[in-house]
Amino acid sequence: MSNEVETLLVEDSPEDAELTIRALRRNKLANEIHVAEDGTDALDFLFCRGAYADRTFSHPPKLVLLDLHLPKVDGMEVLRALRADERTKAIPVVVLTSSFEQEDVAAGYKLGASAYVQKPVDFEGFSEAVRQIGMFWLLINQALPPGEFTASKAHGV
Amino acid sequence: MSHEVEILLVEDSPEDAELTIRALRRNKLVNEIHLAEDGVEALDFLFCRGAHADRTFSCPPKLVLLDLKLPKVGGIEVLRAIRADERTKAIPVVVLTSSKEEKDLIDGYKLGVNAYAQKPVDFEQFSETVRQIGMFWMLINQAPPSGAFVASAARGA
Amino acid sequence: MTSSSKAIAACALLILVCIGTLSYWSEVRNDQDREWVTHTLHVVEKLQTLRIDITQCETGQRGYMLTGQDRYLELYEAGVAEVRQDLKELPDLTADNPREQRAIRQLNPLIASRLAELNDGIWVRKESGLLAGVEAATRANNGEKWMGQIAAQIGEMRDTEAGLLSSRLETAAASTRKIKVVIALGNALAILILLVKYFVIQREIGKRNLAERSLKLSNERLERRTAELSETNIELESFAYSVAHDLRAPLRHIAGYSGVMVQDYGPHLDAEGLRCLEKITGSAKQMGRLVDDLLGLSQIGRQELSFQDTPLGSLVGQVVEDLAAEHAGRSVEWQIGELFSAECDPGLMKQVFVNLLSNAVKYTRKREHAVIQVGQTRQNGVRVVFVRDNGVGFEMQYVGKLFRVFQRLHKARDFEGTGVGLATVQRIIRRHGGRIWAEAELDRGATFFFTLGSPENKPNEQAEVPMNEKDERERRKKKMNEKEEELHVERS
Repeated sequence: MSNEVETLLVEDSPEDAELTIRALRRNKLANEIHVAEDGTDALDFLFCRGAYADRTFSHPPKLVLLDLHLPKVDGMEVLRALRADERTKAIPVVVLTSSFEQEDVAAGYKLGASAYVQKPVDFEGFSEAVRQIGMFWLLINQALPPGEFTASKAHGV
Repeated sequence: MSHEVEILLVEDSPEDAELTIRALRRNKLVNEIHLAEDGVEALDFLFCRGAHADRTFSCPPKLVLLDLKLPKVGGIEVLRAIRADERTKAIPVVVLTSSKEEKDLIDGYKLGVNAYAQKPVDFEQFSETVRQIGMFWMLINQAPPSGAFVASAARGA
Repeated sequence: MTSSSKAIAACALLILVCIGTLSYWSEVRNDQDREWVTHTLHVVEKLQTLRIDITQCETGQRGYMLTGQDRYLELYEAGVAEVRQDLKELPDLTADNPREQRAIRQLNPLIASRLAELNDGIWVRKESGLLAGVEAATRANNGEKWMGQIAAQIGEMRDTEAGLLSSRLETAAASTRKIKVVIALGNALAILILLVKYFVIQREIGKRNLAERSLKLSNERLERRTAELSETNIELESFAYSVAHDLRAPLRHIAGYSGVMVQDYGPHLDAEGLRCLEKITGSAKQMGRLVDDLLGLSQIGRQELSFQDTPLGSLVGQVVEDLAAEHAGRSVEWQIGELFSAECDPGLMKQVFVNLLSNAVKYTRKREHAVIQVGQTRQNGVRVVFVRDNGVGFEMQYVGKLFRVFQRLHKARDFEGTGVGLATVQRIIRRHGGRIWAEAELDRGATFFFTLGSPENKPNEQAEVPMNEKDERERRKKKMNEKEEELHVERS
């Protein structure tokens, strides 16, 4: 699997995945998107194991778009696992979910989500939200440079 | 405080502060911005003490725009303090700094910053960057609800 | 104690009193009888004494007659005195018995005669000496006769007394026996009554225990039912939530792919094709709004409130600012009066004002100059907030439907909406322990009033008891059908 993946989209609904990618693409933000359809797949990807054993920790995606209700391992678990490991701790994770539940929002932030976005129902709103996510997280936000994730262990802060 | 402060802008440069506020206001992104000019004032504000003793922990700002180079207490220290306390831990913090130092970037992510943006030198780009920040964090992002600021023994965060 | 119980107790008491009285009376009778016995014995004794005393007179007189000695004379005189004494006492003793009295009256002359005879004899002896005396004595052979009569009389009297005594004793014994029986029976009856009372009391206790137990059972049942109801309630809320939640995804897809069609194939479609796509998108959006509103409504029931002292005026101010875009280009006048501070959840209370004020803005759309007032007033000593507009209003006959979910009082083509906003407001107000109502006149405007619970009455934190699910479904179905009809009308 290529190390050049910019965006990991963790989404079990093929329709939502398609609409999301389409919105990113129209705004030219869709370089190297990978879709994981469940939590296990997402974790394998991010932890460079299983089908993704050829990936390296030093080239994480710039952005993880994380749905919460996933089969097998669900979104919160993925988030928890991600933040628990030094090698993946600093990857920007934006929760992108239908869930309105205040509890989910609170839990997401407590588990260390970088941001939390609710999927609007209407097409324009959805497209706009995805566009704004892409614009901010792929263009404005400064992610850790490659190679820094493993190296960050060495810096005693 | 009759209206909730939506953005806490921690910025010691008056010019940068003014530019930032203008960019945010012009796009009608935010009504209530509070400016703190050093780390101490920022912490007093967020921890509801000193001159801001009338504030409550249940009404945190939706976003902290944090410069790093600050007098008295620096940005990284402010970030550390915010992340160290359950009552403030979940407040979204976006570093907005002129610093190009990798160390700052690494320290920021190590301490759990939500996002990290560099201030462009060009005025137009600066405004645009601030606008994008505002668009995402004020319109698209779901700010953490009050439940995110309460210590919970059950969830492992 | 019940009245019958009291009656029983009174009976038992009465019987005991009767027995007591009977016993006492019996005792008195016994005493009386004893007195009679004593009395009779006295009489008999007195009669005996009389006989002896008379004999003593005889003896004394005879002795004197024979010997002329004084000691016999003294004996005689002592005897006479005794006899006289006896005769005096006897009538008193037998005062109650007329027969005895008669007998004594018969006795007296006999004794008197004899005594007289004896006296004569003594006088002769005293005067004439021994021989004369003997002669006199021999001559007076009435002595036997008198003595016989006297003895007979006395004997008769004695027998009478004895007879009287024995009959009296017999009567006494009989009545004592009777009394004993009565007492025994009375006691038995009293004991029986007490036993009955005891059993009655036991039964009452039994009944009370039964009542207590059935009360406890029905309390438990009530608690269980309440627990079931609130569980059902929570389930219903969760159900409403998850239904709404699960509906959003496919809605998004409908709207999304319609949008894709427009974007990618728009140029290849004719006007009609594009219009159809618009309808699809519009409907999906409307459904999206419905679903979102429903989600909001269901969340209110489940959400935890955080009460703070909030100045309502500042909430209103924020909402008015936020709504500015909604009525851009229109002439809208806001008249915001002084509003009090209230203990409330600021987030939810803001929602109340958002709904009420945006309604006001919406329904005044057809006015040249819209006037919206927000203020406070007092009704029955309670502070009331009101929101008044000069919009289209509604007919008061439909006011009962105003706050129901999905109920609308205006055509969709005139005023868009989901019919959930006011239901949401009512639910929030209710969770604050308050009340909301409205007054309106068609084409003149509407006023919404609400109160908030006082801080002393902590509002009921539980979610409202849901309407009967079947009724709710039917009502909803009816409303959906009505809405469909409206849309049909729109199209034609």
